[in-house]
Amino acid sequence: MPAQTISPSLARTLLRATGWCGLGLIAIAVALSDFLARAPAGAVGMGAMLEAPSADHPFGTDLLGRDLLSETLHGLSVTTIHALIAALVAIILGGLAGAVAARLPRPLGQSARGIIGVFAAVPALLIAIIIIGLSSRGLAPLAAGLAAAPLAFVRAFDRVDTQSSHAYYARASGIAAATLLRRDLIYEFRDTLASVAARALAAVTIILSTVSFLGFGATPPARDLGLMIAAAKTTYLSAWWTASFPAVALIALIFFARMAAGLEEGERP
Amino acid sequence: MLEYAARQAGRLALGLLGAVVIAAAVSAVGMPHARGPLPFLAAASHRLFDFVRLDFGHSAISGLPAASELAANLPATLALVGTGGFLAVLVGVPLGFLFSISSARRAAAPMTQLVTAVPVFCAGLAIAYGAVHLLHWPVSVNAAADARIFADGAFPMAAPAVLTVGFAGAAAVQLALRRAASLSSGEAFRTGLKRMGLSLLEIERIYVVPRVLAGLAASAGEILLSLFSAAVVAEWVFHRPGAADLFVKSVALEDWNMAALIVAVFAALTLLAEFLGRIAAHAIAHGDAP
Repeated sequence: MPAQTISPSLARTLLRATGWCGLGLIAIAVALSDFLARAPAGAVGMGAMLEAPSADHPFGTDLLGRDLLSETLHGLSVTTIHALIAALVAIILGGLAGAVAARLPRPLGQSARGIIGVFAAVPALLIAIIIIGLSSRGLAPLAAGLAAAPLAFVRAFDRVDTQSSHAYYARASGIAAATLLRRDLIYEFRDTLASVAARALAAVTIILSTVSFLGFGATPPARDLGLMIAAAKTTYLSAWWTASFPAVALIALIFFARMAAGLEEGERP
Repeated sequence: MLEYAARQAGRLALGLLGAVVIAAAVSAVGMPHARGPLPFLAAASHRLFDFVRLDFGHSAISGLPAASELAANLPATLALVGTGGFLAVLVGVPLGFLFSISSARRAAAPMTQLVTAVPVFCAGLAIAYGAVHLLHWPVSVNAAADARIFADGAFPMAAPAVLTVGFAGAAAVQLALRRAASLSSGEAFRTGLKRMGLSLLEIERIYVVPRVLAGLAASAGEILLSLFSAAVVAEWVFHRPGAADLFVKSVALEDWNMAALIVAVFAALTLLAEFLGRIAAHAIAHGDAP
């Protein structure tokens, strides 16, 4: 079918479906990572040092002779699990809390919006680094979720506040604020939950992998993709495969999450 | 307009106060006697009072006043963010307008999603790889480059970091433009103006473009946030001294006075950009910014 004949809604549905299919494949790879990997995580000396991709080692080997296919699968697994935890934190403390705050009495809601808005003015990456610096690197998923939450809170708050003409009529007809909040959570938040979750997953994956790259995230032997790429900095200029395959896996995870969120239309779920 | 500006100025003042409070809290963490909720609150209040008196404490690493340490490093970061921001507007605005046209947007959607899914550090490493292998620049991502290598100027040393920040900024700019265009495309005035006999081009030029530009201006804070985040990564990857790199080192070495001051300055600049962007958006769209 020529591209011109595809309706916008069909194109959007197709893109979202592609995103969810991609995330499904990643979920399968993560679930089966121990089975699919040829070596346990961090197993050194599986091949020669910095061996180029070959039949024995499809993704090549790194400086310590680790099989990069196995390492990438293990790294993807760690990144995805951490990102899911972080996304859950961001959704609850960000999107959900923002939607609830917007239905609080106006002075209270606006005060919460103002306070959280200050945190939203600090780059999420910096917030995550500070939280990890104050606690421990083991709490990186929680830190990434907390760092992404302020922006999600502000967006959810503004979205409910600006698009809720029904709230005006509900208040005018005497419907209680608690009833209105329950209605919003059941209908509006539920309908956008998939998009919100996918968007949060993409955002926290970027934060998590970046803090790991900067040395504040995962700790060996549980290496995530950010840490793998950071370790490949010393070799990738002469051995491209050491950073490329983990980077492709990371980009695929973010790409499919963004597609599933439907951001191609400039939406703000 | 004046009433709107006054309201936004009030928001800015409260935001700046909030940024200082956050910085005081971060700074208090480093105080040895601030263990437990009450001692921490007392230490944070004490630091807040110091901040109001413009006493930002001393760096735990260098022993120098944190303010002078920041003054030495901030210009490099601002120059990086400024040039990266210029590049972002140069690339992001045409791309944003191009992708705002519905047919182009649908065709390019997967590609734009793919490009914007690349984390900044991956983009930085890719740029370094291209600079080394295609342009044969002696770029190093493992140690600070030796300035003496570049006898004919500092361009090859600065370009990869600027390109990295510009890449991140361009993604943010085009997203902000597309978002504003997406909001404008659903407006009822389009149909009304068409019925009044205005051509599509006239509607776009006179009514839609100002609203889209207003949307871009209103996203100035968000764009600056992405530029600062990219600067942290670019300075780290390319070993460029600056405030963003200093922040990472400060947290790693638990120099909380320095980290707090840098966070406060970044937040203040973002809030200021947001304030100016909102005022500009209000002026461009005559009080009807998306």
